[in-house]
Amino acid sequence: MSESNVKKGSLSRATEWISSIYRFATDRNDFRRNLVVNLGLFATGVWVARNLSDFDLMSPQPVT
Amino acid sequence: MGSVLAASSPSPPPPPSAAGSASPGVTMPPGFGMPPVPPAAPPTGSGAGKEQRAENLLPNPGAFDECHRKCKEVFPMQMEGVRLVVNKGLSNHFQVNHSLLLSTTGDSSYRFGATFVGSKQTGPAEFFPVMVGDMDNSGSLNSQIIHQISSRIRSKVAFQTQQQKFVNWQGDAEFRGEDFTAMVTFGNPDVLAGSGIIITHYLQSITPSLALGGELVYHRRPGEEGSVLSLVGRYTASDFIATLTLGSAGAHASYYHKANEQLQVGVEFEASSRMQDTSASFGYQLDVPKANLQFKGSVDSNWVVGATLEKKLLPLPLSLVLCAFLNHQKNKFQCGFGITIG
Repeated sequence: MSESNVKKGSLSRATEWISSIYRFATDRNDFRRNLVVNLGLFATGVWVARNLSDFDLMSPQPVT
Repeated sequence: MGSVLAASSPSPPPPPSAAGSASPGVTMPPGFGMPPVPPAAPPTGSGAGKEQRAENLLPNPGAFDECHRKCKEVFPMQMEGVRLVVNKGLSNHFQVNHSLLLSTTGDSSYRFGATFVGSKQTGPAEFFPVMVGDMDNSGSLNSQIIHQISSRIRSKVAFQTQQQKFVNWQGDAEFRGEDFTAMVTFGNPDVLAGSGIIITHYLQSITPSLALGGELVYHRRPGEEGSVLSLVGRYTASDFIATLTLGSAGAHASYYHKANEQLQVGVEFEASSRMQDTSASFGYQLDVPKANLQFKGSVDSNWVVGATLEKKLLPLPLSLVLCAFLNHQKNKFQCGFGITIG
């Protein structure tokens, strides 16, 4: 009985935690949320610029 | 003609940006900027000691306003309507231009501009004084005078009027040392009313790659005064430039990467504590010199996608510009078409 209560308590805490994370991630009016999302986008953009932009447009096309 | 064209701004003036400057009420006239100053040459001389001193000399870090410029230039400029620009050089020192803008959202306008470049040469393709001015059909004037007072001191005076009323007037002086740059700007000074804005910039080279600096803005008007401090750091490598500006008004980070001769990429992050708003943008510039073509594209976190295509129609002295911006969030579309002659 006490074990099931403990399990139910931890499950509800985990559910509340997941719900708060979901609300934070989807609240477009939250400044902190927008800050975190845009910082992540900036970091992703820097990674793309450094790793995926080294292609040569003037290289000859492969002959089939 | 080369000196006039090198000194004047060939591209259309950018739209005014409310968040572009940390100094409230003082905005640069559109399309104006300081001509680049060549880096100070290291002292030459014989001897190992002098050579070592020359190697240890730090380079001048450039102007404070140019910290984010490389990244900003990669992004396409939003344009709306039909624009026709005709540039005509009358001599090596004097050039005039006519700009006609036909707009669907705002007022159509005609602007007449003139550029005068003096004969005092301070570097390759750099002549002073430079006087640039333009006036539109309603009588609004933008003018700017840049002069190199000495080898290290450059001054600039700018005026902006809306019809007959002076809106902005400012003067600044920039001092370029061996490894630092200092500038002071006085914006809209009014001795009688006791109001004005003072902006000071300082940028110091710490290492050949790292430059640190700060900006202090002090504004005053009757019954109110305040100041804003910002710190800036810039790291320059062989193929990228990373810049960060932090202040009480917010933060601005930019990353510029030159992938190769054809492709340049820019990433920007801006956060404003006053507006409680943040944004991230990604832009790229594609140069195809064999086709006389330049393409710029951008996408940002506000779901705005934009692109501009510029093509020179050689052998004619014509340049064609196509621009399109799409705001998915607000469901708005803007396109522009421009021709530059001369």
